[in-house]
Amino acid sequence: MCVYSRFARVASRAALLGALVPWAVPVGALDLLDGDLQVHGFVSLGLVNTTDNNFFGQSDDRVSKDFSEIGINGSWRVTPDVQLSAELLSRTAGGTDDGSARLDYGLVDWTVSSSEEGRGGLRLGRVKTAYGLYNKTRDMPFTRPSIVLPQSIYFDRTRNLTVSADGAEIYLERYGEAGTLSASLALGQPQTNTEAATVALVGLNPPGHLDSKLAPDFQAIYEGAGGKYRLAFTALHLDLRYRPGYGDRLGSGRFKLTPLIFSAQYNAENWSLTSEYASRRTSVKDFGRFFYNGDATGESYYLQGTYRLAPKWEALLRYDVYYADRGDRDGEDFSAATRLPGFTRFAKDWTFGVRFDVTPQFMLRAEVHRVNGSGFLAVQDNPNARDLRQYWDNFMLLGSFRF
Amino acid sequence: MIEKLIAIKFVTSLSRSLLGGALASVLLVGNAHSQTVESAMVAIAHPATAEEAIPRASLRAIFGMLLQKWPADTPVKVFVLRDDAPEHATFSKSILQVFPHQLRMAWDRQVFSGQGQYPEQVNSTQEMLSRVASTPGAIGYARASEVDKNVRVLKIR
Repeated sequence: MCVYSRFARVASRAALLGALVPWAVPVGALDLLDGDLQVHGFVSLGLVNTTDNNFFGQSDDRVSKDFSEIGINGSWRVTPDVQLSAELLSRTAGGTDDGSARLDYGLVDWTVSSSEEGRGGLRLGRVKTAYGLYNKTRDMPFTRPSIVLPQSIYFDRTRNLTVSADGAEIYLERYGEAGTLSASLALGQPQTNTEAATVALVGLNPPGHLDSKLAPDFQAIYEGAGGKYRLAFTALHLDLRYRPGYGDRLGSGRFKLTPLIFSAQYNAENWSLTSEYASRRTSVKDFGRFFYNGDATGESYYLQGTYRLAPKWEALLRYDVYYADRGDRDGEDFSAATRLPGFTRFAKDWTFGVRFDVTPQFMLRAEVHRVNGSGFLAVQDNPNARDLRQYWDNFMLLGSFRF
Repeated sequence: MIEKLIAIKFVTSLSRSLLGGALASVLLVGNAHSQTVESAMVAIAHPATAEEAIPRASLRAIFGMLLQKWPADTPVKVFVLRDDAPEHATFSKSILQVFPHQLRMAWDRQVFSGQGQYPEQVNSTQEMLSRVASTPGAIGYARASEVDKNVRVLKIR
């Protein structure tokens, strides 16, 4: 079983890379059918080294190479009103993602009505989840401000639950002199069928699995002065049920998560300032006495500045804060109840990063994180909570190619 | 709740004060430039296009690859030069009033979420003029001094 899945994983990655090579050779976009059919993709490899704790693989006093992203997508504009698009993604991220290829999105986008002032339409299929400013393209390194997104809001640990959903999304856009207003409402089945999604919520080696109700997702974005300022609001509601497996210590528990995100960004010619604030209401019940049941409201925010030093160089400074429970910010109550360290319930991350665009297709990045707390770390990479350290540094390097 | 409000208030007041300063400097610099630059670059379209003039917001939506059709229901086909071409930067900044790197970011966001496509990139102003002249529904840009009679100049209204 294990050997087979490993073989399947390697084979699927090789197939994906093989599919990339012919496109990548004549560097640049590939347009067929007069540009109506486009193929694009990216390959990204990262190195991670931490002073303590593990992030994206065994990185504690070692160098982890378990962070890579390979994607290839195609889009076909069938008529001006209808576009078909799909992307295959292989992602490795330590113990949380094993690199097997999967459908990242696959959808038909139908513009139902369109005029000079705006348009409205429908997306059907596997649709990327609108969640803050960065989620829809979170795995495409060139669209991220840093090697890893601010973990307080864009958890890589629980990403599968919010990355895309199978269902429908309606959207509306208005183009006015005062700015562009867009809104979308989606209803879809989140991806709960991966082990990573289950582990993130119930812990290692779960015998059972998660089911999800259809999740509603709303987002409104206002862009003023041609995108110089962007303001967004996102509301998502997840309702998950745990189906215990054979001999399970856990009961058929229920998770309800309701993140609300407020986003603001200002873009000048050579610098940008971005801030997002998230409040996450969580309700956990019916798991039984071997689990930390209860209601809590998590809280996260970050403030991030990027500065273009030269046409090919960009620097980033960010302060990112995460609290699992704003009624217990230092985790003392949690620690008293579970005898686990309180610092597993928060994380405060100072990040400094540099980006160098060698060519428009090839980018190099370096990043340093000074972190107080282990709140966003994945249990797969850190199976024993007693081995965790409160203060740790994280150094990352990334090379990314696109076409 | 109160903390949330304070956080939002902080962010808005911060962005507002930064915005004020930045806008003032943009306006000062922009004004000095706009006379020469604005007359230098124009939006051009296929000669059979029904429109003579277009709102700036709609033009932005077209070059942002959001709006796919002319009001008369014909498909739009967008042509651009390379991101680092001076004409592209000038057209983006003075006519669309968008920074070129933001335009690129907007395209990336759509392409890599399956919501849109990239515009077609041409290598020179000559190629831009000939492609716009020969492709129904085409839109692009050029220096006013280089525009020939085979394309239509679109006014901003």
